Amino acid sequence: MKKKIIEVGYGSVNKVKIGSNMPLAFIGGPCAIESREHAFRMADLIDNICNKLNIPWIYKSCYDKDCRSSPESFHGVGVEDGLGILSDIRDEFGLPVVSDFSDSAWAKATGDVCDMVQIPAYLCRQTSILRSAADTKRPIHLKKGQFMSPWNMKNSIRKLEDFGSEQVLLADRGTFMGYNMLVNDMTCFPIMSQTGYPVCFDATHSIQLPTSMGNISGGQREFIPYLVRAATACGINALFMEVHDNPKKALSDANTVLDIKYLENILSQAKIVHEMRLELKEKFGEDNVHPDE
Amino acid sequence: MSIQMNKKTLVNEVMLSVEMCPVISEKIILKEALEKMGAFKLGISCIVSSNGKLIGILTDGDIRRKLLKSQKPLSALFIDDALVHSIRSPIVVQPSDLLFDAVTLMDKNQVWDLPVVDNHNKLLGVLHSHRAVAVLLGIVN
Repeated sequence: MKKKIIEVGYGSVNKVKIGSNMPLAFIGGPCAIESREHAFRMADLIDNICNKLNIPWIYKSCYDKDCRSSPESFHGVGVEDGLGILSDIRDEFGLPVVSDFSDSAWAKATGDVCDMVQIPAYLCRQTSILRSAADTKRPIHLKKGQFMSPWNMKNSIRKLEDFGSEQVLLADRGTFMGYNMLVNDMTCFPIMSQTGYPVCFDATHSIQLPTSMGNISGGQREFIPYLVRAATACGINALFMEVHDNPKKALSDANTVLDIKYLENILSQAKIVHEMRLELKEKFGEDNVHPDE
Repeated sequence: MSIQMNKKTLVNEVMLSVEMCPVISEKIILKEALEKMGAFKLGISCIVSSNGKLIGILTDGDIRRKLLKSQKPLSALFIDDALVHSIRSPIVVQPSDLLFDAVTLMDKNQVWDLPVVDNHNKLLGVLHSHRAVAVLLGIVN
């Protein structure tokens, strides 16, 4: 299978190429857009770190969190205000931006502003969502559902290709093990890579304990660095982490978002591991252990 | 009793046309290929490129051997591209070949079906052993 490289960024923003032999790309930001001021502050803080480390990155934040466990939880600033803020961040920082959409009616507006559109893991096999994502003509960040095997993601890929999209980034965000628990199977990266599309590791959602706190999710963020090193060594092309400057006050995913004080340390390690893996590939070639021998 | 064999019969007089046998594209997964083989009641599926050229075949025997070797879950095997498990340079015959020679080739290689291609490797059909032998022996026309 020919390895594909996707390019994220239209107009005058930075172009981020994601794929084989490319630098590790980072996708990050606060889980939800909390306010214009907070979104801009986070973009500035992350941009400084990524520029310092020379890591290409895409700003991520969502305008509508439709999968909250509780109706009382913060739902988001809404489509219009949220996309307006993301558009202004693009202009101000020259960054590509990504946001997810949970309703196919929001796809066009999302694609009109965002450089990449994201499909939530719970909706990864919904035909109407996949069709509307492809219709935006933007690269698509498709997260593997926690209930899906990595090989079955090929069905979603086949739908997207049928709808005319060939710019896809496949992400793992953990797999359900029983109730309220996720595990990461690192073999999902080489398996999903067999589709030819680049793969991403969503570190902060992987350590989530879904709805473990009754009406909200818990998380074990202490494991983020371990999983990041492991996934990067397994050959991911992009790393996804939600970050916040005050996780305790985060309006969404407060138990899983990474405190920004740790971001430079973790990204530095991820970059080193990624570059080491590329060196190993250069020196020893592609992994080629045959399955049937 | 002596058997009168139709030694002058050509492959194109006996072969199944592409409409009568499982022909699949290179994007078809193994599960879909097996379903198609079942629908046509044949133990072979021919994989063709977008311009109709033969790029591989998949047979019952290939799958049987694969099932004994593969360690991955069946659900993962099912969704592999059929092409991954195919024979990429199969033995083929041409429509102008003698049926007798084609059946001799089947016996020599212990295969039940042979893809029929033209000079440019375009798939024209499949020669199936049951009908081939029956015609050769004069059991059917």
